[in-house]
Amino acid sequence: MRTVFDKLAVVRWLTDPLAIPFMQRALLATLLLAVAAGLLGTWVVLRRLAFFAHAAGTATFPGLVVAGPLGIAAPLAALGAGLGFAGLLSRMTRRGATSADAATGLLLTAALALGAILASDVYRSGAGVDRLLFGTLLGLGDGDIALAVAAAAAALLATAALGRTWLATGFDPAGAPALGVRAAHGDRLLLGLLALTVVAVLPAVGALLVSTLLVVPAATARLLTGSLGALLAAAVAIAAAEGVGGLLLAYHLDLPPGPAIAVIGGGVFAIVALGGVVRTAR
Amino acid sequence: MSSPAAPPAPAAAASGVRVQGLSASYGAAAIALRDVTFAAAGGQAVAVLGPNGGGKTTLFRVLLGELPAATGSAAVRGTIAYVPQTERSRLDFPVSALDVTLMGAYARTPWYRRVAARDRALGRAALDRVGLADSSGTRFGALSGGQRQRVLIARALVQDAGVLLLDEPFAGVDRTSEEAILSILDELRAEGRVLLIATHDVEQARRWDRVLCLAGTQIAYGPPADTLTNAVLEGTYGAEIVMLDCGHRAVAIQHHSHSH
Repeated sequence: MRTVFDKLAVVRWLTDPLAIPFMQRALLATLLLAVAAGLLGTWVVLRRLAFFAHAAGTATFPGLVVAGPLGIAAPLAALGAGLGFAGLLSRMTRRGATSADAATGLLLTAALALGAILASDVYRSGAGVDRLLFGTLLGLGDGDIALAVAAAAAALLATAALGRTWLATGFDPAGAPALGVRAAHGDRLLLGLLALTVVAVLPAVGALLVSTLLVVPAATARLLTGSLGALLAAAVAIAAAEGVGGLLLAYHLDLPPGPAIAVIGGGVFAIVALGGVVRTAR
Repeated sequence: MSSPAAPPAPAAAASGVRVQGLSASYGAAAIALRDVTFAAAGGQAVAVLGPNGGGKTTLFRVLLGELPAATGSAAVRGTIAYVPQTERSRLDFPVSALDVTLMGAYARTPWYRRVAARDRALGRAALDRVGLADSSGTRFGALSGGQRQRVLIARALVQDAGVLLLDEPFAGVDRTSEEAILSILDELRAEGRVLLIATHDVEQARRWDRVLCLAGTQIAYGPPADTLTNAVLEGTYGAEIVMLDCGHRAVAIQHHSHSH
């Protein structure tokens, strides 16, 4: 009798929030973003762009802060800030005096500082800053859903069309052009698509936690499988599961969704990694 | 590896490389390679000998069309393929030996299609030729250095290359694999393909039909027996290195004169 009651409680813990319209909308957005971030995240991890992706997400923060007061659409402001980051990064590293990771770290810090100053001293955004940095369950608009649909569709299409180019280029950058692979063309499209995906996941997980959807699921999947197809599928599945789990956790504990998804993602990664260590030790 | 179904190599028949007064540089930097003139016909294997920074990679990049000639010309007849050093590739990538081999078919695969069944069959046949039919599903990074090198040669075969540029194909390769690679290269040469084999190993250079010595500029080109003189080796590597290498080299020259 008691176990049935427990089961019911668990079921209700899972299903009750989904009866609420704003949670349904958040669920839809999360599943769409899982497709985009899982697929693109696989390429991000394979191509060692995780730090770049994290920094690009953070770099959108000052753009998001000024978007409201200046009356610019948030995705456009974020995209502008992200492109500014990419442009500065390529200028700083062109001469080779500053390494890419040092320049990325520097710009990440600068963007965060600029955003914080703009938010606290110039616009006095107050509580809104949490939402920009860590995401929100409430107030995901039609525009956010449309952007998530676009990012998911673009990621699916690009993985089908450009997967071979990205694979050959990442496998052997020096040898790829001799295979007739348009490596530079593929890389430009990869970075462009990464920008779109970063902007799409911002409302859900926030500028500081873009990696929770874009890096962590794919990095976890990488521990589980050695085949590309399985990797792509597993990254999407893990992103979806962690995203939905994070939404429910955020709802019940009254957290922003970004940190809730991040905690689940970190925990799953740790369990899978430990499992791998145990398996190898045997 | 005598497979009766070995496909004829139509691209190989008319292959050749002709380089005339070539010099090349990277952007506005100083000239990386100057005054290179040589020709290799189908069926010839040319060792490209020289120290690091001597211009071997620069020559390859010009032949591949990735770097323009500053002066002179480089003409290639036939499909050209590059066989990189295996340590340059990402050994942690989720690709099998067959996946890597099939990269040789990417150029002729439209973006909206999968790699054609015919090309997959070619890929399996190429792996069979290099003696790795049983390893086609093995992850590339899990293979030995010599096996990986053979997979990259199979990839060039799928490209149907008449001209193969091999970058240090024996670096980090065990003895057994070295012999396997040598016999594959001999077969490819016998089919009328042109092989350019970059190496910094003088002993290795003696095995092939011609040797091209590069040290920023062309030091010599010709059959190894006539070309690899003390003066040429000093010009290629500088006097000090030849001094250090002296004993070893003397043995090699004696060995050579005995065998004729």
